[in-house]
Amino acid sequence: MSRFFTTGSDSESESSLSGEELVTKPVGGNYGKQPLLLSEDEEDTKRVVRSAKDKRFEELTNLIRTIRNAMKIRDVTKCLEEFELLGKAYGKAKSIVDKEGVPRFYIRILADLEDYLNELWEDKEGKKKMNKNNAKALSTLRQKIRKYNRDFESHITSYKQNPEQSADEDAEKNEEDSEGSSDEDEDEDGVSAATFLKKKSEAPSGESRKFLKKMDDEDEDSEDSEDDEDWDTGSTSSDSDSEEEEGKQTALASRFLKKAPTTDEDKKAAEKKREDKAKKKHDRKSKRLDEEEEEDNEGGEWERVRGGVPLVKEKPKMFAKGTEITHAVVIKKLNEILQARGKKGTDRAAQIELLQLLVQIAAENNLGEGVIVKIKFNIIASLYDYNPNLATYMKPEMWGKCLDCINELMDILFANPNIFVGENILEESENLHNADQPLRVRGCILTLVERMDEEFTKIMQNTDPHSQEYVEHLKDEAQVCAIIERVQRYLEEKGTTEEVCRIYLLRILHTYYKFDYKAHQRQLTPPEGSSKSEQDQAENEGEDSAVLMERLCKYIYAKDRTDRIRTCAILCHIYHHALHSRWYQARDLMLMSHLQDNIQHADPPVQILYNRTMVQLGICAFRQGLTKDAHNALLDIQSSGRAKELLGQGLLLRSLQERNQEQEKVERRRQVPFHLHINLELLECVYLVSAMLLEIPYMAAHESDARRRMISKQFHHQLRVGERQPLLGPPESMREHVVAASKAMKMGDWKTCHSFIINEKMNGKVWDLFPEADKVRTMLVRKIQEESLRTYLFTYSSVYDSISMETLSDMFELDLPTVHSIISKMIINEELMASLDQPTQTVVMHRTEPTAQQNLALQLAEKLGSLVENNERVFDHKQGTYGGYFRDQKDGYRKNEGYMRRGGYRQQQSQTAY
Amino acid sequence: MASRKEGTGSTATSSSSTAGAAGKGKGKGGSGDSAVKQVQIDGLVVLKIIKHYQEEGQGTEVVQGVLLGLVVEDRLEITNCFPFPQHTEDDADFDEVQYQMEMMRSLRHVNIDHLHVGWYQSTYYGSFVTRALLDSQFSYQHAIEESVVLIYDPIKTAQGSLSLKAYRLTPKLMEVCKEKDFSPEALKKANITFEYMFEEVPIVIKNSHLINVLMWELEKKSAVADKHELLSLASSNHLGKNLQLLMDRVDEMSQDIVKYNTYMRNTSKQQQQKHQQRRQQENMQRQSRGEPPLPEEDLSKLFKPPQPPARMDSLLIAGQINTYCQNIKEFTAQNLGKLFMAQALQEYNN
Repeated sequence: MSRFFTTGSDSESESSLSGEELVTKPVGGNYGKQPLLLSEDEEDTKRVVRSAKDKRFEELTNLIRTIRNAMKIRDVTKCLEEFELLGKAYGKAKSIVDKEGVPRFYIRILADLEDYLNELWEDKEGKKKMNKNNAKALSTLRQKIRKYNRDFESHITSYKQNPEQSADEDAEKNEEDSEGSSDEDEDEDGVSAATFLKKKSEAPSGESRKFLKKMDDEDEDSEDSEDDEDWDTGSTSSDSDSEEEEGKQTALASRFLKKAPTTDEDKKAAEKKREDKAKKKHDRKSKRLDEEEEEDNEGGEWERVRGGVPLVKEKPKMFAKGTEITHAVVIKKLNEILQARGKKGTDRAAQIELLQLLVQIAAENNLGEGVIVKIKFNIIASLYDYNPNLATYMKPEMWGKCLDCINELMDILFANPNIFVGENILEESENLHNADQPLRVRGCILTLVERMDEEFTKIMQNTDPHSQEYVEHLKDEAQVCAIIERVQRYLEEKGTTEEVCRIYLLRILHTYYKFDYKAHQRQLTPPEGSSKSEQDQAENEGEDSAVLMERLCKYIYAKDRTDRIRTCAILCHIYHHALHSRWYQARDLMLMSHLQDNIQHADPPVQILYNRTMVQLGICAFRQGLTKDAHNALLDIQSSGRAKELLGQGLLLRSLQERNQEQEKVERRRQVPFHLHINLELLECVYLVSAMLLEIPYMAAHESDARRRMISKQFHHQLRVGERQPLLGPPESMREHVVAASKAMKMGDWKTCHSFIINEKMNGKVWDLFPEADKVRTMLVRKIQEESLRTYLFTYSSVYDSISMETLSDMFELDLPTVHSIISKMIINEELMASLDQPTQTVVMHRTEPTAQQNLALQLAEKLGSLVENNERVFDHKQGTYGGYFRDQKDGYRKNEGYMRRGGYRQQQSQTAY
Repeated sequence: MASRKEGTGSTATSSSSTAGAAGKGKGKGGSGDSAVKQVQIDGLVVLKIIKHYQEEGQGTEVVQGVLLGLVVEDRLEITNCFPFPQHTEDDADFDEVQYQMEMMRSLRHVNIDHLHVGWYQSTYYGSFVTRALLDSQFSYQHAIEESVVLIYDPIKTAQGSLSLKAYRLTPKLMEVCKEKDFSPEALKKANITFEYMFEEVPIVIKNSHLINVLMWELEKKSAVADKHELLSLASSNHLGKNLQLLMDRVDEMSQDIVKYNTYMRNTSKQQQQKHQQRRQQENMQRQSRGEPPLPEEDLSKLFKPPQPPARMDSLLIAGQINTYCQNIKEFTAQNLGKLFMAQALQEYNN
């Protein structure tokens, strides 16, 4: 059994039935037989009450047992290993040994082992048969034990003189820690059965008698704790937390408690040893019954709190019967419970249950709201504490409990406006029951709610987003929002501005990402007087989320003093604007806040929020048809190729090797829950389409320019990927569609381009995700037409002498004024060397575009110019003249160079044209 | 078209190479008294080189091979050649020397001249003036004094005129390379410029009389020889490519000059600035106090002079630019002629 203790007693599996434990018990692997089944309470008794001494000694005896087994099978290697462990364990037990004296069983094993080894050593035959490892281990062990035993010389000699007594003790020890295995030991042990029997009969003699005497003294207390243990079992817990509370005063006793009952049993066992096991078991049962009766009798002294549940054993006892339940008592109890909090080995589940009971008691006894509030606070706190690990999330039932609890707490707080709750109220100045004065309770509702929000996020993060479970969890969001709203209302009345800011931020964080369909609907259909149905009215009662956001954010802007909350609020506000297509507000807010300049100093979660906002802004700009803005907003996120990571929507696989476990955990905690995600494909599509609309005309215009810059590297990358394909099938993915469309646009073929960008597949993948999909689509078509026209003019202007605008308007299905304006713009921007002939509505090309050769020659001339310049500088050095004559001349030269460029030609040409 | 060449000029060189060879050959002839005054190439070698490129070279990739022959007085006769195998990634442990030795031994067995007299290389738009070529030609010439490098330009050849040129390093450049000192001072001392890096050796293509007879016979039998490549007017592509390459080199040149410039500036800064002034001031003070002045020569020890940039690269680039310019000049001259011819033809037709 003790093996289980050493492994730590936190896990629940160990709190299961004793039967299970016994199955898992044979660690050494040599226990073929199923040991005797122990009755439950016996085991619990042993488990719960253990002094340090017992623990250490048990450890030792365990090791000793393994050694004996190893000795039996002549496994010297094992012996050596165990012996070393034993030495260590002994070292640990040193302090106890100093107090108690060297335990005889320890001496015994040392002596036995030495004898055994000597025996083996003498046995030349056997040694030969031994395998190499064993032989080696044998010599090492022999040397070691010799050296070791020198320290115990006197003990060993005394043991050898009087082995009986020591054997006795050893057996006793064995009995103590494992009733079951002692049976086996008895069969297998090197000590003969006869001696064993003898020592059994002698058991109550010697030291054990001492215990008996002690037991009498401590009888009362031990009963007490036995009682405790009992209910502990009832509440399916294995830990000794309650023991620690209740047992505080009985600490002294508990040291012996383990001994006390067991010695008792020893006695019984010794008497019944000759009977067979079945009978023994039966006897145990009867004994147990006795004990129960006894307990029942004794239980009379205690008040049992049943809490409406008929099962007696299920519920722990809180207060002694007849104790008058007063504030003081309840609070004392509460403190008792709370003291166990955070301690190792405390059963958190039991603690929660205890607290809940306490609330019931308090409620039953009408102790007033103050106490209840106080306890509730603590319940919620211990609910949060339930998971020791920051990464794990709450179980659904705990979560539900937590929500209920907070709701109840809020109910009380709303119902009793005279209760003051605050972090800053000291424990001493709390007023929990004095009804005359306002009640004051320590605790912060805001922290609880914030924590709850965190827990909610954690739950969402840890649920598979594509499962039904996620939907179920998501339903709680409404509840969370409701709670936040209530707390907000509460704090608006009572809280400080800082608290209000914090709760507002929480509210904002739960609002900003939701698209307000109702408000959207209302916008679309202007109110039609009184013909509204009642349902509509009910729907409209809720505040528009825009108004709400405006109100909350403005308050934070005005009142907040911590930078972080304001930053978050601004970002959320922008996000919300952008989500609802209020581009100009969103953009202005972004520019006014100057967040772009200093966001890199913010902490990662805020940066993620910033990234999300920028992306949303870009998408918003795109919906408005502002491709350039969209492109710029998305550039940072998309160009890195880590959009997923930057938006906190998943970890990149490739960087898995680069980060260690700890970092990964931190990053995992930063992830945004799935329902807040921004569709990455949509994002990329928006980016690529914007890039296409910008890049293709630009490429066409600067076909032969050597110093051409790329607008979007990623777009070019996609194009190149498309070109590398050996076989070009019809496009499948979103990227392929965009690439194919780009190619069509390059040729000025807007219809093909259109069909690639807007079709069934792309609708399903991307466009339908927009709230106003049709509007976006029409915008997109028009953009494609315009940009195709521009591209067409850039690419083919060298082929035309003149072209009628009507033809262009037919080709691109744009109306004449639009065509006119586009061409005019191009002419003004010096992109197109042409002039408009008004009467005939034609574009007359000037044919000033240099040919490829001319272009090259021009570039060469430019380069040679710079070469000459550099050369002259070298010459300057040689001559030792700085500046002066050459420098001036050079500038002149450079100025003159200008005439080679297009500008000069154009001016001359345009003068002649008009 | 190559065949046409050999057919017509069994002893004469091709039109383009004569022009270059005549002009340059004279110029270089005076500058150094190298061991080889003339290169005589067997028709077989020319055909083998062309075949080699046709089979293995494409685009910017170059093919290389070994030339075999013998030296007769001041004339180098190249009578045979064999290609280097193309390198691939997976046979990195291929031993070239071993291969060459094996090849030459085998050739000797069939009674072919086995004197190693140089190597050949194809080129892409005349861009062959590189460090690699310089290094390997230097090692050739170092080992076998008479060796030459034959540069074969397949693109020009495809346009109708066989382009095959033989180059040697000038003795001056050989000395510089031997010293392995490419610092500006050393080059200045050697008085070497890009014009005097390579010398072109005139080429004569020689065929046996039997082959000549065969060629004549074949020419008679064949129908109209397709000679019109020579008159093709579509040449902008070629010019553009040349310009592009020229531009790249000019860029490199610029960079090189900038590098050199910074070097100059750094040196002059170090030489002139602070330290000297301070030392002078100190000396002045010392003088006024009547102490002996500190020595001035430990300057270079105190400051390491900046590493001078190797000038060989810029020399090579300049040489390359020169080659491009020659190419373009030649090309445009020919094209102008063609254009005028076409114009005349047009007028005549009208």
